[in-house]
Amino acid sequence: MQTKIIFENVGGRTIDFFTAIYEAWQLVIDSIKALPHIWFYRRQVTEQIYVFLVKTLPIAAVISIFVGLGAMIQGTYQSSALIPRTYVINVIFKSTIIELCPIILSLILAGKLGASLAAELGSMKISEQVEALETMSLDPVGFLIMPRILAGMIMLPIIIIFANFLAMFSVFFIASIATDWISPKEFLSGMQMNYRAFEFYFGNLIKPAVNGFFIALVGSYFGMRTHGGALGVGRAATNAVVVSAILIVFFDYYLARLLL
Amino acid sequence: MIEVRELSKNYNGMPVLNGIDLDINDNETLVILGPSGQGKTVFIKSLVRLIEPDSGTIRYDGIDVLTLPKRKFIAIQKKIAFVFQDNALFDFLNVKENLSLYLRMHSKLSEKEIFKEVLRAIEFVRMNEEVLDKYPEELSGGMMKRIAIARAIIQQPCYMFYDEPTTGLDEANVEMVVELIHKFKKRVCKFEKRVCATVVIVTHDIHLMHAVSDRVVLLKEGKIVFVGKKEEISEESLHRLYDTGVRDDL
Repeated sequence: MQTKIIFENVGGRTIDFFTAIYEAWQLVIDSIKALPHIWFYRRQVTEQIYVFLVKTLPIAAVISIFVGLGAMIQGTYQSSALIPRTYVINVIFKSTIIELCPIILSLILAGKLGASLAAELGSMKISEQVEALETMSLDPVGFLIMPRILAGMIMLPIIIIFANFLAMFSVFFIASIATDWISPKEFLSGMQMNYRAFEFYFGNLIKPAVNGFFIALVGSYFGMRTHGGALGVGRAATNAVVVSAILIVFFDYYLARLLL
Repeated sequence: MIEVRELSKNYNGMPVLNGIDLDINDNETLVILGPSGQGKTVFIKSLVRLIEPDSGTIRYDGIDVLTLPKRKFIAIQKKIAFVFQDNALFDFLNVKENLSLYLRMHSKLSEKEIFKEVLRAIEFVRMNEEVLDKYPEELSGGMMKRIAIARAIIQQPCYMFYDEPTTGLDEANVEMVVELIHKFKKRVCKFEKRVCATVVIVTHDIHLMHAVSDRVVLLKEGKIVFVGKKEEISEESLHRLYDTGVRDDL
């Protein structure tokens, strides 16, 4: 009897898992299908881009400054006196722009944006606003989801570029101007050392765009399948954060293996 | 004309709609009456394809809409407006944006012309311009209902569907809703000279049924138990319909 329950449970969860993947995939397909109508939904797209920017920029600024400074403290503390300081700056620069800033900010934005997206769409779903769109001959995917996914994919790279700039500027400010630990010239040559353009694109464009896509997709998916009132909205928000965080760290590893 | 044949819907094996056959004539006001949990909302939402029934057909002027792909259904959907029980106003838009959304997305009218239409709609529901900048959360229940009706009116529908339009409203607002239902038909038939003004209302409110209906359908356990004029409904059939509910207002 106990074994039967375990099998039923495992089987049910497996079916739920693959159903969720199928439904999320369907959402992606529907969003792609809505893309040719982007002019029709232009207002929604620009609104979402604005929302992403306003909601994330202040938090991105604060976090990136301290991520950069934290990396600098670790870099200088861990390196021995024998290692040239330009090398230390090079390690700080690369680890910050390729890994630290993109992943830390993506995880934080998954919490902030993913949760708010799921809660927003979830409350629209349970208050029949999504159905109201349909009765007004508007495609909920085109009106609500495609603009959010697009905004995520466009805005996250921009935010990460801004964050990386701030992080490195704060490192420069403390290391070169405030403490004189390294001269500005050495600092710049450390940043340029062993420079590969693709690494820059990878950390600033590819990875953030993928993360932005997952944050918006997962938030939208859980929002659109919300049911059960306020409890359902809370559940959707929590699930959105957890699942998008897992996807972000998984693809962080997988993309690095694949592309670097 | 809307023709419904053998419409059925089950949830978890439980039949909610049980082989419904019904003709809804052009320009009539049809009230579907029944206590809560009898399948009224599922039925009205099936009529506009917000819920996909398990079996049966729904024909609008001879076109079976259930077999149409969603893309092609839009042409018919544009003739339909729906007033939801909880109004379903977009809470991220203010009243003006709620009212202008449909025209902005589907018409080629200029902003000025859209604003004119918004003003007409707002006057229609006896409200004034001051409300336009407010968000739904700042409105009372009665005001939200009127805005929801205005948002439906602005679509210039042929078919107007109301889901429990008087639920949660006080007497004055119920009277207002009754007046607006009459006014919609009058405006469409008399002033706009359009021939289509079919109104379908699901409600448990017997007073509303008496006030607006041309024809009444009594729905019980997903089945139609009566179709006819309101004068033909006996006290006994109403009693039978509501025998599990409160009957104080009968």
